[in-house]
Amino acid sequence: MWRVVPGQSLAFREWDGEAVLYNDLSGNTHLLDGGAVDVLLALRAGPLDAATLAAHLADRFDADGEALPAAIEAMLTDLARLDLVESLPC
Amino acid sequence: MKTRPPALPLLLRVLRDPRIAAGLDAAGWDLLLRQALGADMTAILLVLLEDAGLFEQVPEAARVHLEWARTAGERHARAVRYEVLQIGRALSGLGLPLILLKGGAYAMAGLEAGRGRMFSDIDILVPKAQLGEVEAALMLHGWATTHQDAYDQRYYREWMHELPPMEHLRRGNVIDVHHAILPETAAVRPDPAKLRAAAVALPGLDAGMPPLQVLAPHDMVLHCAVHLFSEGEFSHGTRNLFDLHRLLLEFGRQDGFWDGLPARARELELGRPLFYALRYCKDLLGTPVPDAVLRATAADGPASPLRALMDSLFRRALLPAHPSCADAFAPLAHGMLYIRGNWLRMPFFMLARHLFHKAFLSPDAKPAH
Amino acid sequence: MLTVADLPRRELAARLAGPGLVLRTGPFANRIRSDIPQLLDGIALLYADYPVDAPGGFADFHLSLHRAGGLRRFFRPQVCFSHEGVAPFKPLPLAQAYPMFEWVMNWCVTHRAHSWLIIHAAVLERHGRAIILPAPPGSGKSTLCAALVTRGWRLLSDEMTLVRLDDGVVLPLPRPVSLKNESIGIIRAYAPDAVFSAPVENTNKGTIAHLKAPLASIARAGEAARPAFIVFPRYEAGAPVTLAPMGRARAFMGVAENAFNYQVLGMRGFTALGRLIEATAAFEFRYSKLEEAVQLFERLARDGA
Repeated sequence: MWRVVPGQSLAFREWDGEAVLYNDLSGNTHLLDGGAVDVLLALRAGPLDAATLAAHLADRFDADGEALPAAIEAMLTDLARLDLVESLPC
Repeated sequence: MKTRPPALPLLLRVLRDPRIAAGLDAAGWDLLLRQALGADMTAILLVLLEDAGLFEQVPEAARVHLEWARTAGERHARAVRYEVLQIGRALSGLGLPLILLKGGAYAMAGLEAGRGRMFSDIDILVPKAQLGEVEAALMLHGWATTHQDAYDQRYYREWMHELPPMEHLRRGNVIDVHHAILPETAAVRPDPAKLRAAAVALPGLDAGMPPLQVLAPHDMVLHCAVHLFSEGEFSHGTRNLFDLHRLLLEFGRQDGFWDGLPARARELELGRPLFYALRYCKDLLGTPVPDAVLRATAADGPASPLRALMDSLFRRALLPAHPSCADAFAPLAHGMLYIRGNWLRMPFFMLARHLFHKAFLSPDAKPAH
Repeated sequence: MLTVADLPRRELAARLAGPGLVLRTGPFANRIRSDIPQLLDGIALLYADYPVDAPGGFADFHLSLHRAGGLRRFFRPQVCFSHEGVAPFKPLPLAQAYPMFEWVMNWCVTHRAHSWLIIHAAVLERHGRAIILPAPPGSGKSTLCAALVTRGWRLLSDEMTLVRLDDGVVLPLPRPVSLKNESIGIIRAYAPDAVFSAPVENTNKGTIAHLKAPLASIARAGEAARPAFIVFPRYEAGAPVTLAPMGRARAFMGVAENAFNYQVLGMRGFTALGRLIEATAAFEFRYSKLEEAVQLFERLARDGA
């Protein structure tokens, strides 16, 4: 299960599929793909796992159904490195 | 040398009573802000003025500068929390309590002394036996040692009470890892095990923060005092004295704090620094130290002739580091205290070698913060 | 309003040597003290049109540039900058006193003035539209800026674009335009009437000279401008003039990377920069011929696209 790190307000601006997002903890700003922002916003309401995220967001991504959960898991790992999300013990 | 420089500088008068700022003209504000900048206390000045309800009365031109300091202060607070989070992560596998010292402690504990207080390094206290593990864990997480010169490395590791400062390669922030609060080479050796045993866990931390500890109130005051009164460099003398002032005011409201302070100082062999701390806080900042405590610590002070000399030195060195606050004797006072600082930290033969090395072989040596 | 040109040279020298000359640049009052003749000459020439405040009042920044003492008074003399009794930088050879002064004036603003998002960029205005030119060193930004200035563009700044945080307007901070090496000759040829400081050689950036800002730009220093375009310039020998639209997210990151205090401002900086990007169109620009570049910018300012 993954959740947005507490304290992150997810302030972002998106233009033409690319987004900039402010990291409240580190004070850094990140250039992200629109898909990553979709994942973060989907997690805002509450923790979810990669499979559920893939199901919710299938129409937003250009990936086939099989590969999507793994791709999202990889994306979440990258976002975790930036302290935007964290994994929870299930 | 006269024992007392003429009048207190404007910054000290405002620290004692912020309402004085309300009566300043343009030239007065110009001087006050310059002294505050020199002392690295602009953000502290902002806090005092806001607490006193005086911020709206500050003239526009000066208010702009205070707002600049507010922005810098907010950024600093954010960076400190993030850095402590990263340090906690790096050391989480070692099973050590993470004990913060000085500015980092004041900030994370939400103390008055932390408000507006800027500082450049995070200081932590760990057991000497685990220094190697701590250093290795930090290196694994992106910190690298500074002071690559073999002599400087030895200075820190063998003679001082800390590792050479470590700088994070990506973020650029510096961590100082201490195993005691005075160097190995000093004559007085307050037992770090006692400090660690009395350390207090911080409640109410944000989710994700590692468990943090700070020194117990008496020890925090004594550490601040020993740091100020055995240092050789006073570029932050006023700020550090004001830290003591705010710590004493806040902890002084706790039951038993004042009563227990002299005894704890003696237990840690820190009677002399406490004597100086209380004396100069009261003298320069008007800290309300109870008479009973002053009487209890009087015997720990130096004998009369030396006391007069130390007064003349400290009363100059603790003034804001700004040309407007220096009289003709200030350079001499600073010079003597620099030597004293090194003397207290190292025996004579090592001192001579160290000063020689610093002056002639290490022009880029980082000054003690 | 009293300007530097209104003060007799004797008075100028006396203030610099004594209580300080308080010079207004954009929104700032700078109190300057110096005993160095080259600096007096440089200020008298390039700051002739700038307002002067009476000494003894409030100043935002306090700069002292003095000859280093001791043996250095005689042997390889140096200029030392001190700021409230602290010398944050190593001394430079005395001949570099004027460039050091300009550099230190920038430093005072960029590392403290957090009322604005400060972008390392030139900013000029024409036909009511301001164009911001962020660029790391070596991009030809200063040459382009100087050329536009000599063709009637209003100079807001050649180095530091001040974007007000609450409403996104750009505040002018017109100061002499710094030019290096070949650019000096190029602009002298492009604008033969332009007034320059005496070139200083062997600085760590080569030969440096400063171009006097136009009187009209200084006179309008109180007039903010609305930014319309962000243009990232790059000089490329032989390149035809090209203006390529840039994605907004990348433009955002490009400006953030070229801002002095973006990290310090935190969320406010993010919000202000987001608003700036929304309000402007961003481009990447390549050129080799100065005249072509100037004409393209004129069209951009006039036609708005």
